[in-house]
Amino acid sequence: MRTFCFHESSCVRVVLSAAAAIMQIGILIFVPDAALAHGERNQEPFLRMRTAHFYDVKWSTNETPVNGEIVVTGKFRLFPIWPVNLPLPEAAFLGNGTPGPVLARTESYINGVPAIQSTKLELNRDYEFKTVLKGRVPGHHHVHPMINVMGAGPLLGPGNWLTVTGNESDFKLSIKTLSGETIDNLETWGLGRVFFWHGLWVAIAIVWLVWWLRRPLLLPRFRALTEKGGDRSQLVTSTDRLFGAGLLVATILIVFFGFQATDTAYPRTVPLQGSRATVEPLPEVPEQVKVAVNKSNYDVPGRSLRMNVTLTNNGSSSAQLGELLTSNQRFINHEVSQAMATVDPNYPKELLPPNGLKVSDSRPLKPGETKTVDIEAADAAWETERLSSLINDPDNTLGGLLFFYDEHGKRTISNVSGPMVPVFTDPDNRTAENPTGGAG
Amino acid sequence: MQGGTSVRLYGLEWPKESARISRVFDLLVAAILFLAVSGAFHLHYMLTAGDWDMWIDWKDRQWWVTLTPIMAITFPAALQYVFWTKFRLPIAATFAVVCLLFGQWINRYFGFHLWSYFPMSEVIPALLIPGALVLDVALLLTGNFLFTAMSGAFAFALLFYPTNWFWLAPYRLPVEVMGQLVSVGDYISYAFTRTALPEYIRLIERGTLRTFGGHSAIIASFFSAFVSILMYLAWWHIGMLLARVVTTPNALKHFMGLTDKDEPAEAAQKAIDGTSLQGRSVAAE
Repeated sequence: MRTFCFHESSCVRVVLSAAAAIMQIGILIFVPDAALAHGERNQEPFLRMRTAHFYDVKWSTNETPVNGEIVVTGKFRLFPIWPVNLPLPEAAFLGNGTPGPVLARTESYINGVPAIQSTKLELNRDYEFKTVLKGRVPGHHHVHPMINVMGAGPLLGPGNWLTVTGNESDFKLSIKTLSGETIDNLETWGLGRVFFWHGLWVAIAIVWLVWWLRRPLLLPRFRALTEKGGDRSQLVTSTDRLFGAGLLVATILIVFFGFQATDTAYPRTVPLQGSRATVEPLPEVPEQVKVAVNKSNYDVPGRSLRMNVTLTNNGSSSAQLGELLTSNQRFINHEVSQAMATVDPNYPKELLPPNGLKVSDSRPLKPGETKTVDIEAADAAWETERLSSLINDPDNTLGGLLFFYDEHGKRTISNVSGPMVPVFTDPDNRTAENPTGGAG
Repeated sequence: MQGGTSVRLYGLEWPKESARISRVFDLLVAAILFLAVSGAFHLHYMLTAGDWDMWIDWKDRQWWVTLTPIMAITFPAALQYVFWTKFRLPIAATFAVVCLLFGQWINRYFGFHLWSYFPMSEVIPALLIPGALVLDVALLLTGNFLFTAMSGAFAFALLFYPTNWFWLAPYRLPVEVMGQLVSVGDYISYAFTRTALPEYIRLIERGTLRTFGGHSAIIASFFSAFVSILMYLAWWHIGMLLARVVTTPNALKHFMGLTDKDEPAEAAQKAIDGTSLQGRSVAAE
């Protein structure tokens, strides 16, 4: 017989470990709040800045009752300077980022083509989308339009808080089949049949198991097999074999006739549909303003992106820089009224940095004119959205869209892209911890 | 069985008290084994055939029908070795599959439905019980693992599609959505969205095997049946390997400050150094 000594120090360690374990369990149970978003800030900046840029996104309403509709519309452009480590969008799917299916998607379209199947998309082209959502689970939900790209994952559009009110039990999604059946609610369709067949086979399985388990089981059977004098013929009797054979025949007959009966009940069925949709991009609009990035810095203590760019207006109307869009953050030039007018009242405020976009010369760029300007997008969003971590990435090229407006409010879009060089110090002694500067 | 202080079980004399304790032991082991196999088999199955089993729009006529029996026959085969050779119990396949189904329903109802809001109609698990019953009876009647593989494992896969068609057919009715033809199952999964599991991720039949008259499920079932025979044989032997009793000295307890009173200090130090691990002992079956 072996016995163990229990040292005093070990005792202390065990007690401390137990206390730590209890604390950890307590923290896990009581401290965390509900997860409210989808980890979009955890996606690498190059992924969010140089893949899908969503713009003109509108929500028909921010609140709906159960069974009520919310229509999300907008456009997206697939950025031409696509990250080299991501596969091209040979297969893409219009999704919606939700915390589970809290809203049912009843319709979705890309450029008017039903988006129930995946499709191929092209870089540097624009697409229009529409998604119809139906309130299902009451609550306050963060919902994104989204493009899933095979191999690249979910590329999220701007997230908005949508509120669903009412009772979940009132939800219904009805449809009529082409063979004439009316499905009252897809949530519960076919479940009676599922429970019946699963229940029947579980019951038969339990009969088979109990047939054997009712007799002495493990040690007596093991001894009978391994020790002299054990009677093996009692372990499996002829009655057992007869019962087994009967069960075999019954099983095959139930499967055969059940299959026939099901085929008779549902004579017209179709396999899962796996084709690919064909979607043509929106007509190509030539870039009116050519943008050349001369220098771009990210000022770490100032939380500010500064770019020196040369703009050339190749169009026949003037162009005024109104907005920088990157990673769903809309830096709007407050001096351009046409740009300010594009902000939808339902647009999420956290995606509209209050300082907007500062341009050293906001005067309209005349047709044929070339001008070099400094632009600055300063906001804590670079940190809170974890975009400044671009400086730690192996690919630190930033990307975004610049929106220009003419005197009539007509908009043209230009791509902007360039390497981002960080600036870690500045003359005002500002630091990330002390962004206002000074001795402190 | 006899009267008095002893009973006769399968030809051997047992003290009554020992027989009673052995019965309690039976029930304890059965309960523990039920939970252990539920967890282990469910984990294995989710890692190998998970999405096909989880979603109504993954249960196609080609991949689902091919892969599910191949991946599902593993634990039944391994457990059949143990149950049959050690106890002459032809219930391993049924037991394993019932455990799996229990784990799946718990997972689908609490994890997918209550926790993640998916409707139950989207996350119904597949039925494997008829095939498992036939596999068990094949072993009972033949008493031989090779014949069981050729008949029972073959039937295990062949019965899979017709067994599941009972409940699956209503989800393959045709509907028109946005002017497109889809099945009810397609539309359920489209409507109740999976954020990180878009349509193109599905590994499903994308074309028809016209050479065989378009009967993809039948061809897939027969192919699956042939591979299931091989899988059965492989996993029967894995069961054989895992049923061997192997022990190693417990070095871990020394790190926790525990030592054997009768163990010399030098031996304890060797255990810490790991040298005693070389002294592995293997008990015969």
